[in-house]
Amino acid sequence: MASERYSFSLTTFSPSGKLVQIEYALAAVSAGASTVGIKSANGIVFATENKQKSLLYDENSMHKIENITDNIGMVYSGMGPDYRLLVRQARKIAQNYYMIYNESIPTSQLVQRIAGVMQEYTQSGGVRPFGVSLLICGMEPCPTSNKMIPLLFQCDPSGAYFAWKATAMGKNSVNGKTFLEKRYSDDLELDDAAHIAILTLKESFEGQMNETNIEVGICDANGFRRLDPATVKDYLANIP
Amino acid sequence: MSIMAYNGGCVVAMKGKECVAIATDLRFGLQAQTIDTNFEKVFPVNKHMYLGLAGLQTDIITVYKRLMFRKNLYEIRENRVMQPERFAAMLSSFLYEHRFGPYFIEPVIAGLDPKTFKPFICNMDLIGCANMPDDFVVAGTCEEQLFGMCETLWRENMEPDDLFETISQAMLNAFDRDAISGWGAKVYIIEKDKVTIRKLKTRMD
Amino acid sequence: MALNDILKHMPSVGDMLSDYKSTEEMDFINLSQNKVLSAPPYSNPVENLAKLHENNDNIKINFDHGTTTLGFIYQGGVVLAVDSRATGGQYIGSQSVRKVVEINDLLLGTLAGGAADCTYWYRVLTSECRLYELRNKKKISLAAATKIMNNIIYSYKNSGLSMGMILAGGDMNQVSLYYLDSDGTRTMGKVFSVGSGSIFAYGVLDSGYKWELTDEQAYELGRRSIYHATHRDAYSGGTVRVYHVKKDGWNLISEEDCLDLHRRYEAEKKK
Repeated sequence: MASERYSFSLTTFSPSGKLVQIEYALAAVSAGASTVGIKSANGIVFATENKQKSLLYDENSMHKIENITDNIGMVYSGMGPDYRLLVRQARKIAQNYYMIYNESIPTSQLVQRIAGVMQEYTQSGGVRPFGVSLLICGMEPCPTSNKMIPLLFQCDPSGAYFAWKATAMGKNSVNGKTFLEKRYSDDLELDDAAHIAILTLKESFEGQMNETNIEVGICDANGFRRLDPATVKDYLANIP
Repeated sequence: MSIMAYNGGCVVAMKGKECVAIATDLRFGLQAQTIDTNFEKVFPVNKHMYLGLAGLQTDIITVYKRLMFRKNLYEIRENRVMQPERFAAMLSSFLYEHRFGPYFIEPVIAGLDPKTFKPFICNMDLIGCANMPDDFVVAGTCEEQLFGMCETLWRENMEPDDLFETISQAMLNAFDRDAISGWGAKVYIIEKDKVTIRKLKTRMD
Repeated sequence: MALNDILKHMPSVGDMLSDYKSTEEMDFINLSQNKVLSAPPYSNPVENLAKLHENNDNIKINFDHGTTTLGFIYQGGVVLAVDSRATGGQYIGSQSVRKVVEINDLLLGTLAGGAADCTYWYRVLTSECRLYELRNKKKISLAAATKIMNNIIYSYKNSGLSMGMILAGGDMNQVSLYYLDSDGTRTMGKVFSVGSGSIFAYGVLDSGYKWELTDEQAYELGRRSIYHATHRDAYSGGTVRVYHVKKDGWNLISEEDCLDLHRRYEAEKKK
């Protein structure tokens, strides 16, 4: 391939103006497990596949959905090790902010700073871009009123970030988004959103979905938390 | 002689009913010698917040400028007005950064919350130990005198006019017992919809 | 005995004390011999006080040091002007100190430096001047009075006294002006200013001084000089007192608060 000639440095443009490593990183994301995020009127839902390759895996000790602060959650599609580094960074950024201002970091601020980290890895020497896309969600007070408003962001390997009402990433993300476009409405309640998120996952899910091979995270006025398998099971029970 | 008393000067802030007040003297001296009688030690931070800095003049100016740098960056990056609590936390960590080579200043913050308009006052030592009482805060070379005056004059829930009278009397009578503070005073009364600034005529000796 | 007191103005502290034997007796010396002070609790204070201060800044006594005083002679006599502030460190202890000491009908002295030192030795001087009158049936001259004071001060040189005095009064049918200080200086002159604010006072005084000043002009020059000193010097302030000394006695001309003076001078500036 012609473009490979410009891969001698991972962060050098090709003549057509592309950073091919970023495209490869996005390919790694597209090959990753599906992840869905939906914003509702009173909260946000994450759902993601967490299929294990062997029955011998202990599925209760490794997680894809993580808390960054009490109010902010994060999940990914792509490469697990890259993600865990970003989680560490995000937590550090959040605590640093809290130390300076004595207030938890606003979601948008965290997203901006994480995006900054990811961008650095597209322009520095001797590094490669992250092989993940992130979903970051949080609730925070509206700047003009005291109402709590939900926020959902996606952060790509290039450092680009987007605010979504609902989105899907990873394998079959195109189909997932089409599905969400049909099912989404602005007045969704949190429970409806959770229901739709699991349904979206199920669209492309290979094999039998159960409480151990998916993860669900919920953010509402009480903060962000990963649901325990029993609660996930209850949600699954309502799905045909 | 302490470096904190090299230039002289004092600041005081008080809480009132839905308002706060902050006052400064106007002297800038080099030990006994009065150089300027129009040096204000209270600076605007944003619409509802003022920062008073007592201590070494060169550090007063530097700290104010560095704080405004950080505060402006915060406001532009986060697209929102900085609350007094956040400003105090930021100032505290800024001062502690210089724990082993501190700025020789004692800050006083007075302001209203930009959303709820709740009164806020706060002072710190030179390395950022914050103190947020319900009544008043003082700083400067006549700190003891200011404490005495405030302790006797301050009452709960004062209206803006009353608060102005109280803080003015407290400051005037305090610095009249201090050789290196005074030479004029300026008082700021911060209310929800307006800030009233008055210059006081005082003894000039 | 009384004559001896006058003639023998303490050659040194040690010589004075050697006449007395028991320490018990020494405790009461000051009652009859008020020029004798109890010795500090170490030997040879003249040398050892300096050594003590060399390595120990924090034992310095923090008494009244800030002041502005001035005096000058002109064709109409002498004008003395002073402020009234007493400070201990930066703390203002008083705004109503009388820094002109009225020694008698003819003599005035100003007070700068250690307030306690000045007031005490002025009291001694006052009594010495009165004793002179009683013994000699005539007023003491300013030259003699300042010489008495100078002898006392000199005998305590380097013991830690801190004083700067301007004395004015009738002397041989004319008015004269002396400056004395705790280093042992005694000098006659035309224009003096003493104290932390003196540099500021001199600025005004020197530029406005001339022999031909009228009385009113002289008062105003003294007043203005002190006022400007109180404005610039943190350790001077309160009220400005102006005295006029003539051959036949002195008068208190004015006592004005610095705030009133400030307002008046500001208003004049705007005109």
